[in-house]
Amino acid sequence: MDIGEKDKYELGKRDEHNNINYQAPVLSSDWQFGGANLTSAGMSLVPTTNPLAIGSSCASASLVDSFGSSLWEHPSNSQNMGFCDFSVQNGANSSNAMEVGKGLPNSLRSSIDRPFDMGWNAASAMLKGGIFLPNTTGILAQSLSQLPADSAFIERAARFSSFNGGNFSDMVNPFGVPEPMGLYARGVGLMQGPDDIFAVNGMKSVSVMESQKSKLDATEATRDAGLRVENRAKASPLENERKSESLMQPNEEAKQGTGGSGNESDEAEISSRDGGQDEPSALDGTGGEPSAKGLSSKKRKKSIQDAEIDRAKGGQTSTKTAKDSPENQQKQSMMINKTTGKQGSPASHPPKEEYIHVRARRGQATNSHSLAERVRREKISERMKFLQDLVPGCSKVTGKAVMLDEIINYVQSLQRQVEFLSMKLATVNPRLDFSIEALLAKDIIQSRAGPSSTLGFSPDLSMGYPPLHPSQPGLVQAPLPVIGNSSDVIHKALSSQLTSMTGGLKEPNQHSNAWEDELHNVVQMN
Amino acid sequence: MNNPHHLNPTSLKSRFTTRFLRALTKIRAQKPISSSSPTEIFRRYRRIKAAADKSMAYSVRSRRIWSRAMLWKLRSRSYRRQDPCSGRRSGKTNQAIMKKSSNENTTTRREDGVGFVEEADELRQLVPGGETMNLCNLLDETAHYIKCLTTQVQVMKKIADFYSF
Repeated sequence: MDIGEKDKYELGKRDEHNNINYQAPVLSSDWQFGGANLTSAGMSLVPTTNPLAIGSSCASASLVDSFGSSLWEHPSNSQNMGFCDFSVQNGANSSNAMEVGKGLPNSLRSSIDRPFDMGWNAASAMLKGGIFLPNTTGILAQSLSQLPADSAFIERAARFSSFNGGNFSDMVNPFGVPEPMGLYARGVGLMQGPDDIFAVNGMKSVSVMESQKSKLDATEATRDAGLRVENRAKASPLENERKSESLMQPNEEAKQGTGGSGNESDEAEISSRDGGQDEPSALDGTGGEPSAKGLSSKKRKKSIQDAEIDRAKGGQTSTKTAKDSPENQQKQSMMINKTTGKQGSPASHPPKEEYIHVRARRGQATNSHSLAERVRREKISERMKFLQDLVPGCSKVTGKAVMLDEIINYVQSLQRQVEFLSMKLATVNPRLDFSIEALLAKDIIQSRAGPSSTLGFSPDLSMGYPPLHPSQPGLVQAPLPVIGNSSDVIHKALSSQLTSMTGGLKEPNQHSNAWEDELHNVVQMN
Repeated sequence: MNNPHHLNPTSLKSRFTTRFLRALTKIRAQKPISSSSPTEIFRRYRRIKAAADKSMAYSVRSRRIWSRAMLWKLRSRSYRRQDPCSGRRSGKTNQAIMKKSSNENTTTRREDGVGFVEEADELRQLVPGGETMNLCNLLDETAHYIKCLTTQVQVMKKIADFYSF
């Protein structure tokens, strides 16, 4: 996809996002972003039900690409570090109310290192304008902690949280452990009750999560309130799940997030998602308590169990297929199906403060080493999947070793191309005035990845990456067309390029026209 | 879907393009291309390649490990050329830093539990600064590096096409 084109989309859509709710495609389809972008994958991960999810349905796939490209191209913008900034903001806000543990900087650091990782970054960046959230929620949370619990308030808070869910990056621990919550006692005064709902919010920090867990344990009833807003919240935790997954969480969590087939499963996921709930969670907690009393404790237990089951099942399935990227999607759907009506004994996990909270799956060793290894393995497979989409012609390749070889070959070919092109530039005679540079720069930036090499040699880069053989000295002697015949040369070159190019050119005529016009101008100037 | 009107001035592509073109003009201004001896051409080629890498690394700034490593490499190389002593100095400090980080990341030599040691090592050699990364970060950096390389190739191709007409 053309970067310029993406830019346009990105600029255009940015305003839209502020006001529009997006529908996100089904999670399972996300990984197929067909070499377009990580962002599209990241975007597609957002659950459909999330009103704020940055939807990248097929129609808006280009939009997603634009997000992705914009994400790439706005590197340390506050926007681009979108989710990182958000987490920072969230952390700042939440830290007012609750202490933000060292987990936050850790997660921030790692997340900051991967701004491009998933599309949600772009999503969060996109939504940033429209959503006043992090500061708002922080302030809101603090002030609301004083407010009396109110069911309507809970809903409002949940709405806010779902609102925010789209924006916050996820240092989320998808495994918000419901039961052991009580063990985690962090001094977060605000958080009460069902952090599940607020798990939806992107504002998650590990330390906050811990406090959340304690609250969660204390006020499980409030979780029921989450049922009401689960639909709204579902997308956020799912989205957050995606973010966290890409960032540092194992895949299962995200899969759990993407499931949410039933209310209980949603709630379970939300509760498990938990992770660093901020003030909004507190709001829900306080509001939810009185209203939750009416709800049966049975639901609560079931949701907890469901959460555990989900995690256990998801963990099992995911561990089996951890290495098979195509199976991950199936895993996700399997996870979704298994969320309801299952009984299981959750594997307890000792509270680890300021770290990624991972829950041992059912039947899995709870050794911290194996857990960490599992997390790491999932991270690696995640990234391999992403790379697979980035490298052309890698989708058919199965197996990590072969894919790594492909990636190595691709990087080598790209580096060789750079060398070759620099050699070519060294030999080219700049007949043109250097004032053309500005024109050239503009044109280069605007035009898409269009016509590649010129007449004498045409390593067709779009057709994969045939390594450039070291015949560069020979190519140096390639005849440089005289400027007098520039138009003919252009025509010939462009036509040859067009015929040889695959895929990339959608409107070659425009390209050739643009080039011709520019060259004509240049010739006239000379 | 060609949108020439929507130009992102801060995109990686534009940043790299402007920087690289500037460096290119500087190189060209230094020596007119009248002499086409292979050594001259080779020297210019090296300079252009370095300029391309440098522009790309500067466009990415220090947000990526590979860009930082590449910048450091380029700087130390230029220092070495100008002043051997300074090169040694900076090399030492940087080597110390690298060694320290590699000692901390002794996991790089470990299997990482996934069994891709050989390929991972090869990838580490390709990606600048890859020696000090564990597999997870290495894959991240590789993805970003690939993206930047493709941008670089695109832009350079356009420039070469433009000039060879």
